[in-house]
Amino acid sequence: MRRLKMAHAVPLLAGLMLVALVIAIANSDEVRAAPHPSQVTAPARVDNSVCLSCHSKPDFNLTLPNGDNLPLTINQDKFSQSVHGENQMACTDCHTDFTGYPHPALEAKSRRDIATTYYTTCEQCHSEQYNKVLDSVHQRALAGGNKNAAVCTDCHNPHEQTRITDKQTGKILITAKLHIPQTCAKCHSGIYDTYKKSVHGAALTELGNLDVPTCIDCHGVHNIQDPTTVQFRNDTPQLCAKCHANATLMRAYGLSTNILNTYVADFHGTTVTLFEKTSPDQPTNKPVCTDCHGIHDIANVDNPQTGIALRKNLLVKCQRCHPNATDNFPAAWMSHYVASPDKYPLVFYVNLFYKFFIPAVLGGMAVFVVTDFIRRLIERRKGVTH
Amino acid sequence: MATETVSLQKERTYERFPLARRIEHVVMLLSFTTLGLTGLIQKFALSPVSVFLVNVLGGIENVRNIHHFAAIILMFGTMYHIIVLGYKMYVLRIPLSMLPGFQDAKDALQALLYNIGFAKSRPQMGRFTFEEKAEYWAFVWGTVVMGVTGFLMWNPITSAKFLPGEFIPAAKAAHGGEAVLAVLAIILWHMYGVHIRSFNKAMWTGKMTEQNMLHEHPLELADIKAGIANRRPDDMTIRKRQKIFFPVATVLALGMLAGIYGFINTEKTALTTIPPQEGEQVQIYVPQTATPRPTSTPTTVPSPTLAVTPSAETTPGTPSAVISWDGSVGPLFKEKCLMCHGASKSGGLNLSTYADAMKGGEAGVVFTAGDSANSLMIVKFESGKHPYAELTADELALIKAWLDAGAVEK
Repeated sequence: MRRLKMAHAVPLLAGLMLVALVIAIANSDEVRAAPHPSQVTAPARVDNSVCLSCHSKPDFNLTLPNGDNLPLTINQDKFSQSVHGENQMACTDCHTDFTGYPHPALEAKSRRDIATTYYTTCEQCHSEQYNKVLDSVHQRALAGGNKNAAVCTDCHNPHEQTRITDKQTGKILITAKLHIPQTCAKCHSGIYDTYKKSVHGAALTELGNLDVPTCIDCHGVHNIQDPTTVQFRNDTPQLCAKCHANATLMRAYGLSTNILNTYVADFHGTTVTLFEKTSPDQPTNKPVCTDCHGIHDIANVDNPQTGIALRKNLLVKCQRCHPNATDNFPAAWMSHYVASPDKYPLVFYVNLFYKFFIPAVLGGMAVFVVTDFIRRLIERRKGVTH
Repeated sequence: MATETVSLQKERTYERFPLARRIEHVVMLLSFTTLGLTGLIQKFALSPVSVFLVNVLGGIENVRNIHHFAAIILMFGTMYHIIVLGYKMYVLRIPLSMLPGFQDAKDALQALLYNIGFAKSRPQMGRFTFEEKAEYWAFVWGTVVMGVTGFLMWNPITSAKFLPGEFIPAAKAAHGGEAVLAVLAIILWHMYGVHIRSFNKAMWTGKMTEQNMLHEHPLELADIKAGIANRRPDDMTIRKRQKIFFPVATVLALGMLAGIYGFINTEKTALTTIPPQEGEQVQIYVPQTATPRPTSTPTTVPSPTLAVTPSAETTPGTPSAVISWDGSVGPLFKEKCLMCHGASKSGGLNLSTYADAMKGGEAGVVFTAGDSANSLMIVKFESGKHPYAELTADELALIKAWLDAGAVEK
């Protein structure tokens, strides 16, 4: 018996350890750089002061063949405050091809050349993020020949990037979160200008509200996917529900958390949800959240000009797919309300009717069926044919 | 008793349902089952069973198409039923045996009382028992509810022109509630009454044995035996009535066909564009600056640099404005060059001291006193061969002046 227990205990223990490991990995969301190989093998590192003897000079520039000015000055203060500076990174940890002077000849023709060839050095320590980026829309664009596509250093200035996540919790730091839209705005300023005016963007940029989503909350980070795909569209309700079905988060704003279940219960939502479950890559013409609420320009629904809580504004949205829709039509959509005596009473009372009518009818039938069945059993036992 | 049973097995049977009714039953059975299945998986769309079945049936749009097709079949079935009923009522003038009456309520009560032991016998019933009538009228009620609510859902834009929009979700609620009721009622009432209690094959064979007739429809059997059931009017009367009925029925049928056509084609509810693309149209790449590289524009950090311009270098008050190593050139080299050309003697050149500097490096002497133009250091800088250690024009001028003045130490 004891032996048996032991025999069970070993795989159980191993299993538990495996689960613990998986949980640990799943929770290690934190961006933590792997130790640099040079810190392990420790080859001769050139001291940063050697580099800085030249690269701390102000206005130290190099003109590249295409006329780009390549600034070569490193702001020492900013570097020492950066996460790389804090971690005593050596210049040559990243600039691995620079081992002394004279430096190897620079083949890049432009600053963009330098950025799009140099970012691979980040993989040395940040392979997890690097590999995610390989699966991103940016990387695909780059591979497709779009040199404007963002690489690591476009978002993270390696010489000045301060910590993004909390060292202990791994959660994104407040300052970093506030800064995210501006980072994306460097290339997507058109979207940023729209976002800034949206209910989410205004709360973040004007009020410093950290409950609202920044770019990465919807688009992800590093492995950013193409948001124009069918899959992304079909996933949209679940994406919005991440926050909008969260009671704790919504309570502070008096927002309903019924938005997802009411949407899914409706014709449109049922369709999209089934598409998402059965054929996520198949397009459906049924609307998702963003079709009525907007994408980067999501506005308060009570806004008198655009707010879709007002029927006339909602009708405009309806008419995008139902061009013949008239004034009454928007009320066919229950606006995320659960039917009650106040909101959509007809629906409420129809449901109430069937709530009693179904059991009443079936109950009545059951009385006949059950008594008849029992009676016939008794008769059969008595040998009566009918 | 036993012999009677044996003889009854060979005994005569009575026609209960002619072939047309049996075909009608099969058609309705298939359409009802299809409607129930494809409808309930829409009502309970997110249950795993539904998701599985939706997948099997080729996706939700396909499920809806099947549901609509089955609904159309049911509409045609209903239309056919109404016309046949009209013919029987007007031309044949058969008794309306399906109409419920007070007697049915009494029969139902008696059946119940008998079941629980308070009545001596089961009710004696006619062509249609109260159970059959209940089922028939439940089906009629269900078809009406499903038809009306189905129309509202199939044609919501048209409906909302005449009715409050709220009627459409209300129709959906009723359609779903009625569906649950209908399916469960069929399972409970029809299954028990026709398949479990005794397997009634009349709807398939069309016939019923005398024995079964006696038990289930004794009053009808009595009528048949008495010759008062199924009495056809004479041919003359039939033909006379047909002359009126057929035109009326044709108009009615055309009207109903138009109704069915309208039901199906009143509106094209939604655009078929997939997906609606009028939404936010954005320019993806809109850089804020020409080169949106994050590296901040190098800010000129004010750092204490030597006053290296020749004019500033010469300290006011110093009589001789001689540029010397100790005075300005040495400190300039110390500031700018010693990191490489110091102890590490990059290229063999050490600029730490005047003496070492004058020795030159691997490439030879770098400072030629009195001749800046031929000094290797100046040549290198002026030809751009020492790019990473930049000297400003002023600094270079200072060194040249120092060389031309004899490259003195003090």
